[in-house]
Amino acid sequence: MGEMTPKKRALLCITGNKKKADRISCFDVLTTATVDQMNAVKAPFPDAHRDPELCFRLAAAAWEIIGLEGFKLPFDLCIEAEALGCKIHWGRIDRHPSVEAPVFNDLEEFKVPEKIIEMGRFPIKHGVEERLRREYGDYLPIANQVTGPFTVAGHIFGIERFLIWTKKKPREKIEEVLRLIADINIEDSKEALRSGADVICIADPSATSDIISPQFFKETLVPIYKYMVRKIGAPVVLHICGNTMAYLPYLPDTEIDAFSADAQVHIGFAKQVLGDRVAIVGNVPTISVLLLGNPQTVRKATIEAISQGVDVVMPSCGIPPRTPTENFKAMVEAARCWVYV
Amino acid sequence: MVNKDEIISKFKEAIIIGDEEAAVRLAKEAIAAGLDAYEMVTKYGGEAMEVINKQYEEKKIFVPEVLLAANALSAAVEILKPHMKVEKTSIPAKVVLGVVEGDIHDIGKNLVKIMLSSAGFEVIDLGRDVPLQKFIEVAKQEKADVVGMSALMSTTMPGMKKVIDMLKDAGIRNKVKVIVGGAPVTEEWALSIGADARPKDASAAVGITKQLVEKLRKERGDSW
Ligand code: B12
Ligand SMILES: [Zn+2]
Repeated sequence: MGEMTPKKRALLCITGNKKKADRISCFDVLTTATVDQMNAVKAPFPDAHRDPELCFRLAAAAWEIIGLEGFKLPFDLCIEAEALGCKIHWGRIDRHPSVEAPVFNDLEEFKVPEKIIEMGRFPIKHGVEERLRREYGDYLPIANQVTGPFTVAGHIFGIERFLIWTKKKPREKIEEVLRLIADINIEDSKEALRSGADVICIADPSATSDIISPQFFKETLVPIYKYMVRKIGAPVVLHICGNTMAYLPYLPDTEIDAFSADAQVHIGFAKQVLGDRVAIVGNVPTISVLLLGNPQTVRKATIEAISQGVDVVMPSCGIPPRTPTENFKAMVEAARCWVYV
Repeated sequence: MVNKDEIISKFKEAIIIGDEEAAVRLAKEAIAAGLDAYEMVTKYGGEAMEVINKQYEEKKIFVPEVLLAANALSAAVEILKPHMKVEKTSIPAKVVLGVVEGDIHDIGKNLVKIMLSSAGFEVIDLGRDVPLQKFIEVAKQEKADVVGMSALMSTTMPGMKKVIDMLKDAGIRNKVKVIVGGAPVTEEWALSIGADARPKDASAAVGITKQLVEKLRKERGDSW
């Protein structure tokens, strides 16, 4: 089996084989960047989104400064919308970029430019992944995040308009568009895997059941995710924000390896529903604990997540930029102390 | 002889199921039958939206259905508006509403807007990512009764406190009531920054805003 490395450990844990690892992994496949790290490595937002050198330094800071056992790119959810023509508001040091306005007024207007993954910031992302692999060898895992089809649809059509269309337009039309976006995600993932990434994270925050029905999730989104997983052919983690309890029974049908659960999801319950069919990662609350708590409350929440059965310790969602380093580190340290007996 | 009750109940039903065409048709029928346009909107439209909000709260329906219902109602309002005889006493209270600077999450704010306007409030929508100063400017300009702010992120919540402080500095804090909302905003925090209320959702916002406006009218009268 050879020596256990963070990469081997992460891949075991993320695919539901944590018992075969020496201990639980603490690898964050969601946004890792914080203001403290930006200052420490002199790679602040918003420049770090677009400058390859700064982007590299900030991605590496996840390991160098916090000790997270792996890297993840990019730092935001706007790459796809940007390449499709949306204007981006770049934010500032403690504010993530956001999409300013939709670009398409109707489903029929939607068109994917040829070679889209050579456009916008895709090449920067893949370039930094390649450099991370080169400089850190095979020791640490790299996660490539894609913004999921539902969220991208919200960006490019306007979320409210798209929500209304889910009720008014023929379902095949909606599915067709989501599938075209999924194809961008797949192409991006394949290029990332060639560049050195090991894990793909589909982050689809707008697909939360605070907004859409479990029925829509089951009928329309599950087949799309499954299509993606099959085409990607590498470990896939799906992240959806908020309370996704009602989605749990449908997750095995997506064939994802792991689901990254937000703080509203009760892990013990999720484990009972999912058994060993889908691994569960995440769940250390970002706001109440990592951002607003202290190292002690972070340790407590981390141990709670582990004892409820999470397979990889991670923040429950993208880390808030103002999270103090001592809190973020406390999560990693608590995870490292957890050895299986 | 057209049955007025039937028009009303079909009208409500059309809104609840989000059937825009039917809502428009029934609005026209209502006018032809001599029903009061103002009542159609504020009373029956409002009742339909209450049903919607209750179903949403109970997770029987989700945001797309709420938006559909809202669209059906606004289409009907367009038809009914020219026929509304607005009396002086029924001039609706003005609410200045927006998502605070740095925050683009506006789905919740839009639901609040829908519910408040269907309950008869005049809502001045500042949109999302609203510069804080704008709340003060518009409140003054419009002689608003209520300032409503939404924030969905811990990083943008402090903007609400700043707006309240700015209202105080401008000497107009006592001219308006302030309501705040958004998933991370707790009642305790809202009161601690000096807001008047934190309705937990869009339907609670209606009742609470009504009460606050009544109180305001007693405190400061109709003058600004
Ligand atoms: C949809 C969504 C998005 C969409 C927004 C689309 C849109 N036009 O609104 C998109 C994908 C664009 C998005 C982007 C981002 N998001 Co977002 N998003 C969400 C999500 C999943 C749902 C929010 C929502 O619409 N809920 C449904 C509505 C109906 O509920 P509501 O807003 O709470 O409103 C109700 C009540 O609160 C109340 N209410 C609301 N406002 C008001 C106002 C008044 C006056 C009153 C009386 C009542 C009231 O009434 C409403 C109706 O009943 C949440 C997670 C979650 N599940 O909550 C994250 C969440 C809000 N997002 C988050 C983040 C971090 C982001 C990003 C920074 C991510 C990134 N890395 O790019 C960006 C940038 C955003 C920015 N600069 O503002 C975080 C915020 C964390 C924090 N720091 O606090 C959340 C909490 C996710 C998480 N778990 O971490 N997001
Ligand atoms: Zn999330």
